[in-house]
Amino acid sequence: MTGNVWVVLPFACLTGGAFVVYLVARLSAPHPQVERNSLLAAVTALVFAVALGTWTVLCAITAEAWALQETLPQLPAWGYVRAGGAFLRSDPGATVMIGAALGLGMTVAVYSGRYVALDRRYETYYPLLLLLVAGLTGMVLASDLFNLYMYCELMGVTAYALVAFRRRTDTAVEAGFKYLIISSVGTVIILMGISFIYRATGKLAFLPTLNAPAVTVPHPIGREEAGLWTRAGLAFLLVGFAVKSAIVPLHTWLPDAHGRAPSSVSAMLSGVVVQSAFYVLLKVSLGLGLGTQGLGMLLIFLSLLNMTLGNGLALVQTNTKRLLAYSTIAQMGYVMLGVGIGLYYSFPAAIQAGFFLLLAHAAMKGLAFLCKGVCHFYSGATTIAQLRGTARQLPLVAAAFTVALGGLAGIPPLAGFAGRWFVLSRALSSTMTLGRRTEPVYVGLVFLLLNSLLSLGYYLPLIGTLFAPSLSPCKEEGKRGQVRVSLWMAVPLVLLGGVVLSIGFYPGPWLDWTADVGAYLLALGR
Amino acid sequence: MNADVVWLMIILGGPLAAAVLLLLARDLGARVASWIAGLGAALSLIGTFALLPALQRGNDPAGGLSWMPAAGIQLRLRLDWLAFPFLVTVTSVTLLAVIYAWGYHHPDRRTPYFYALLMLFGAGMIGTVLADGMFLFYVFWELMLIASATLIAVWGDGARREYVALKYFILTHVGSLMVLVGLILLYVGADSDGLSALRQGASIEPGLVMASIALFIIGFCVKMAVFPLHLWLPDAHTVAPMSVTIMLAAAMLSMGTYGILRLPFSVFSEAQVAPFATPMMVAGIISGLYGALMALAERDVKRIVAYSSVSQMGYILFGLGTMTHDGMAGATLHVIFHAIVKALLFMCTGLVIRGTGRRSIAELGGLGSKMPLVAVCTGIGALALAGTPPLCIFGSEWMIFAGGFRSGQLGLTILMLFGSLLTVAYALLFVGRIFFGHPSELCSQEPAASRLPRAMVAPTVLLAVLALIAGLFPAPAFEWVSQGMTLILGGAW
Repeated sequence: MTGNVWVVLPFACLTGGAFVVYLVARLSAPHPQVERNSLLAAVTALVFAVALGTWTVLCAITAEAWALQETLPQLPAWGYVRAGGAFLRSDPGATVMIGAALGLGMTVAVYSGRYVALDRRYETYYPLLLLLVAGLTGMVLASDLFNLYMYCELMGVTAYALVAFRRRTDTAVEAGFKYLIISSVGTVIILMGISFIYRATGKLAFLPTLNAPAVTVPHPIGREEAGLWTRAGLAFLLVGFAVKSAIVPLHTWLPDAHGRAPSSVSAMLSGVVVQSAFYVLLKVSLGLGLGTQGLGMLLIFLSLLNMTLGNGLALVQTNTKRLLAYSTIAQMGYVMLGVGIGLYYSFPAAIQAGFFLLLAHAAMKGLAFLCKGVCHFYSGATTIAQLRGTARQLPLVAAAFTVALGGLAGIPPLAGFAGRWFVLSRALSSTMTLGRRTEPVYVGLVFLLLNSLLSLGYYLPLIGTLFAPSLSPCKEEGKRGQVRVSLWMAVPLVLLGGVVLSIGFYPGPWLDWTADVGAYLLALGR
Repeated sequence: MNADVVWLMIILGGPLAAAVLLLLARDLGARVASWIAGLGAALSLIGTFALLPALQRGNDPAGGLSWMPAAGIQLRLRLDWLAFPFLVTVTSVTLLAVIYAWGYHHPDRRTPYFYALLMLFGAGMIGTVLADGMFLFYVFWELMLIASATLIAVWGDGARREYVALKYFILTHVGSLMVLVGLILLYVGADSDGLSALRQGASIEPGLVMASIALFIIGFCVKMAVFPLHLWLPDAHTVAPMSVTIMLAAAMLSMGTYGILRLPFSVFSEAQVAPFATPMMVAGIISGLYGALMALAERDVKRIVAYSSVSQMGYILFGLGTMTHDGMAGATLHVIFHAIVKALLFMCTGLVIRGTGRRSIAELGGLGSKMPLVAVCTGIGALALAGTPPLCIFGSEWMIFAGGFRSGQLGLTILMLFGSLLTVAYALLFVGRIFFGHPSELCSQEPAASRLPRAMVAPTVLLAVLALIAGLFPAPAFEWVSQGMTLILGGAW
């Protein structure tokens, strides 16, 4: 196995770290519960930090390799490079997703230092968290369908287990089981798609030819030779990954799974897992020969469904985490609209705006779930009405939650508004590039604006509830009723809040980070 | 960095810094908080007049830095003649509202947050007027809305305040979204973010020009509370605390006027905007008549004055729609003078409510002997509203009607003239029912003028005097406004 070792290092750090954390957990079993949890959280966060360090190098190498040539250059890869294939190949979009996952994972690990202190079985929680991100990393880096399937399954299985982590409660087990069943249906469909494609072409690699002097990999699925089995395989893969990305109407598992998992797990699931599955959907379908126009139009159409259904159903929720889960569906709709318009009009800036919004959403949704977790931890709040009095009891949490919700609602100058501005402006710019029909853009924009308005109907009352006086008098006891939030949970909140504010006030660096994704995806689709 | 840019930063930064200080510092106490807020507002008013010499010399103060180079978005502030009347209005109304709040607002533990939000509201309006970029314009536009909605939701009167705040937010946000789409259309067409650069023209597809002008005008009309987009106004103005109502009615409504002047009128040519002239005039007439009729029908004194705002904004829209120099200059002048009179009337209403504890006009009466000073001030305000010379509004209404006649729409202008009879009616009835006639049997309290806080009475008297002076010596204001007229619709007057 040869190639650029930096490609595999983040994954290796995370998997190795998972074993290390498991060992530490078993060895520290006799220690008191809370200290043990803190130790494991610290070690996990350290593993994430090391992985982040290796990721920065990978990011730099990838950006440099991409900048060298206009067309698809030789991106760093690792695996059986000499034999004509590779296990893992880095690309600009993958580095964005991995960076977001590692950052959010590190924040969640620190947060869990107090959040899961009252649970047990840490030796399963922390390694699973690390393996979840490891699977995600492998999945977005995979360059052939077998590895893709393997890492997708790794990510999925760890996700099922984490959702059902608090297994003493029946709701968690039911949610985990439902997630398992529906997601497994998706996995089986993916597997069938892979088998159809293997039957038709005898190959599993889905990334096209690279201009490499030593190695040439023929394009696995050329449009000329696409037969019935290939098309069927592509369709099955699309549907399977659509299940994983919670695209309407295959989204039914998400509200339950994200709504009943521990808040730290929900933050990861809503923040990066669903989004990585969406990225892989793009990569696989474009790499296998689905044209950018076709995929773009499909995404625009599906985004309308996502937005409307997500916002509409969120309006009627009473459980806070379920509301946030439906909001994820709606926000993914906005992202899909941006990406779809960029693909349809071959306008990379619009795709870049979509991924910028995706990053912003990861930060905002992660922050929202973590804040909700703190409220649940200190006052047992689950429904929206139980959140009353948060501003008095937990002022920092109320402030952070307001920043997150305001950002999701698109209120300037927070992150969500910058994302929406860029998506809107670049979508309109894209109509001026090619002489294609402009109706999809206008329809999509009208839907986007109306849905933004609709979403105010549940974000604003939620913010208002945070600041409303509490109904139960016993909450007002104590010195001003304020509860001191543990530093393990406060620091991640402040950190993520700072990220949301910085994306909103100074989006330049974040925009630059997602700059190459659009060009890469369009080059893939050619 | 010359002195002008420093003053620009002080004008916007004063209220912002005061807001941050009030939000973050603990245990400030109500009195210190009120002084800090007053200082912030005073700084911006001083800065506004400090920049007047620079404007008269011909250098528009401007300054800024590049915010997002990748997207061409800049953080620039600029003061030109078009913005100057609005800036004067906004800064003076903010200062007077803060001084009024010293007397009206009951101090408690949350008072620093109240003043902080007032400062943010003021900063939002100042930033909207000074912003020289579309992104920055929208950011401050929304800041106005967020700050005022929060003020209504937390410090409003009555149990319905959260509902009213939500309704206000969502209905106004519809207009804001339309403005956002218009802004993005301009941004995409001009490929840059600067507002002043737009005067060289933006290359927008001809098909989209009508759409963007329509979006701008309708979006800004929501903010101006033109019928039928006014639904948020009566409740919001009635439920809000009095200082917020003063700022809403006197300053924020005119932000819609500023928006119409700055965005569609400065960017597009007269020929492109001409199709919208008559609809604007018609909408103005309908709004004027509707507001006046509702003001006649209402019982709550605050609601009467609120509907009068709808009516007066109709006059302004009518003036803008005439597309003549006199009409539009008159409309802008009306912004300033209406701000004086409306703030005066709301302050008097607050004094009456504070003095008697009553809000319904049926329960008030014969207060003239008990509150003579307030009666005089309200009388001046009502006469001014009715357009009586030599008070200020007479001048601006004259110009609006002159513009109407010059535009050739004789029928519409005559309709508007007759509509102003209704204004006279509700204005005089307002004064008459509260201060003259037999005292109501329910009115058993003896309100003494000495019981009314000086902080509430002083701005009222000041505004009454100002209404008279502005009516007798309208030349300075008129000069500011006509300088601004050269900047719109190609400036060929």
